[in-house]
Amino acid sequence: MREKLQRFPALRAWLLLLPATFWLIVFFMAPLVIVLVYSFLERGTYGGVVWNFTFENFQRVFDMLYFSTFLRSIYIALLTTIITLLIGYPLAYFIATRPPERRYTLVLALMIPFWTNFLIRTYAWLTLLRTNTGLINTMLMSWGIIHEPLPLFGNDFAIVLGLVYGWLPDMVLPIYAALDRLDFGLTEAAGDLYASGFPTFRRVIWPLSIPGVVAGAMLVFIPSLGAFVAPAILGGGKSLMIGNIISNQFLAAHDWPFGAALSTLMMTFMLAGTLIYFRAAKRGDAQ
Amino acid sequence: MIDGFAVELRQVVKKFGQVTAVDKVDLQIRDGEFFSMLGPSGCGKTTSLRMIAGFEMPTSGQVFIGGEPQGYLPPYQRPVNTVFQHYALFPHMSVYQNIAFGMEMQKVDKNEIQQRVGETLEMVHLSGMDNRRPKQLSGGQQQRVALARALVNRPKVLLLDEPLGALDLKLRKAMQVELKILQDQVGITFIYVTHDQEEALAMSDRIAVMNQGKVHQLGTPEEIYEAPANRFVADFIGESNFVPGVMQKMGPPAEISVTGTEQPIAVEWLEDGINAGDAVVVSVRPEKIRIHPMGQAPTYPAMCRLSGQVEKVIYLGTDTRYLVRLNEESAVVVRLQNIISGGGHFNEGEKVDIRWDSAHARVFKE
Ligand SMILES: Nc1ncnc2c1ncn2[C@@H]1O[C@H](COP(=O)(O)OP(=O)(O)OP(=O)(O)O)[C@@H](O)[C@H]1O
Ligand SMILES: [Mg+2]
Repeated sequence: MREKLQRFPALRAWLLLLPATFWLIVFFMAPLVIVLVYSFLERGTYGGVVWNFTFENFQRVFDMLYFSTFLRSIYIALLTTIITLLIGYPLAYFIATRPPERRYTLVLALMIPFWTNFLIRTYAWLTLLRTNTGLINTMLMSWGIIHEPLPLFGNDFAIVLGLVYGWLPDMVLPIYAALDRLDFGLTEAAGDLYASGFPTFRRVIWPLSIPGVVAGAMLVFIPSLGAFVAPAILGGGKSLMIGNIISNQFLAAHDWPFGAALSTLMMTFMLAGTLIYFRAAKRGDAQ
Repeated sequence: MIDGFAVELRQVVKKFGQVTAVDKVDLQIRDGEFFSMLGPSGCGKTTSLRMIAGFEMPTSGQVFIGGEPQGYLPPYQRPVNTVFQHYALFPHMSVYQNIAFGMEMQKVDKNEIQQRVGETLEMVHLSGMDNRRPKQLSGGQQQRVALARALVNRPKVLLLDEPLGALDLKLRKAMQVELKILQDQVGITFIYVTHDQEEALAMSDRIAVMNQGKVHQLGTPEEIYEAPANRFVADFIGESNFVPGVMQKMGPPAEISVTGTEQPIAVEWLEDGINAGDAVVVSVRPEKIRIHPMGQAPTYPAMCRLSGQVEKVIYLGTDTRYLVRLNEESAVVVRLQNIISGGGHFNEGEKVDIRWDSAHARVFKE
């Protein structure tokens, strides 16, 4: 066996992949295939499926009722991504330009809130934002700054706020990693070549940090699109996202095939987006 | 230009916390000059250069470029360009874009940019490489791009921080010649930082020898080699013998008694601040010393003579080095050119006399 391994280095490489391959097939690919198959079946009365092949679920997916929620989810996810980028980029830049010892402390500080469960943190936001009893509105009203409670809760604003809060580190860390690798000698070179602060950023720092920005955007956009905790709690049951509809199909409506069809649509959308990104990245590299 | 200096440093000090990197440096660099700053690692060369470029601001003192005080002007407002030690080429831009960058920032007309990039590429022998990325170039080619990127802006002064440091020896020598030719061609003032004394001697019009943040000597390569101002310079530039002794008589003629010998020797040049009775060293270059069989050295008035014994003979091809022991404490290296083939005129153990012209000896504080 040992001799064989030494003679065939490729075999050794494959052995390294074995645990991951096993894991992916059993716990990732299999459920994915099940979802795909279910989306073409009919619903059982109390959940589960009846093994009759049908396209009906996909026809319903494009029903305006659901499809508009789907489009709205894309809008909310995009908005979340843009806001996390606007907050996260300067933060990542700040961290990356500190002395090395300070950087680790700051990265750690960024992570600490995330040692608490997401659900609990979202409930904490609830107590802050709630329309009549929320901390922010109560305080602003008691100080007489406002007389009517602000619409902080049960709308897209609350959802986006919760999502931005939840996914900010996923935006900051890849950008930080990209900026950390950036040779700040290059910014000196740009300064030497008559570029002041903003041109240096636009022509040198930004282009070289794009891989981090794209990675961060994907890490924020994808889970935001599928989010259901934040909209369920902060949306106040009025403002929903596609993730809530999917979870409702499985947990409340007992319509597994339709939930599966919605999931399939969402996955197809994300897959397409990812492929377009890789295509573009490849072209960028080749330039 | 008011005073005719391309760059001037007046009483410039730079401190990093407790460390004084540059300590009251005064420099006047002439227009069109190839000026080198030479010194061991950590002596403050890079810091001085960075203060001229505007990447560091002096703790005190003033930097003048073309007679204008620079104060706290940022780098992008100074009429100088830098060739960085590790080139700092923009990895996401082509060779063309790298070279065009400075002119684009200065809003130079597109056609002129194109023309000047072309000319400069030709000047550094990189024509046709416009579209390559820095990663696709060899170290020497990257070096040329860095040079072109700076030169294309036609700065008043070009700052170069060990620009050849990352190249192998052969390429380094070739680039030294090329740089020198290029400088003649463009007529721009070059301020060149290096810790390689051979490089500095070969290329410079004048050299500032630095140590621990101070300029120890400023002069032409010949002045610095032939007439080092202090022990540090004599030691750092080339090879020197240091024979310990005591200042006997201030003269003229000044005399020193070499430790372990009776007869005093005459010296002409003394470092400032030496008094009779001080411990000193006599410094003589190995190639300035003659060697004779014992008792056969001719006697001239200005000739210093000492006796010793050959301890070691090292044959080096073009010349032979003799280590001649004078006494327990001191020995000197003598370097003789091998004019006659066969080398070995003297053998190990042979008793010899050595002599040098007193004009070639420098006396430094111990
Ligand atoms: N940014 C800085 N912070 C703290 N100390 C510094 C900084 N830059 C330089 N120094 C210190 O200042 C001194 C001079 O450094 P400098 O880089 O000018 O030396 P150098 O002559 O260029 O040396 P080398 O030949 O190694 O490049 C050194 O003691 C160095 O440690
Ligand atoms: Mg240096």
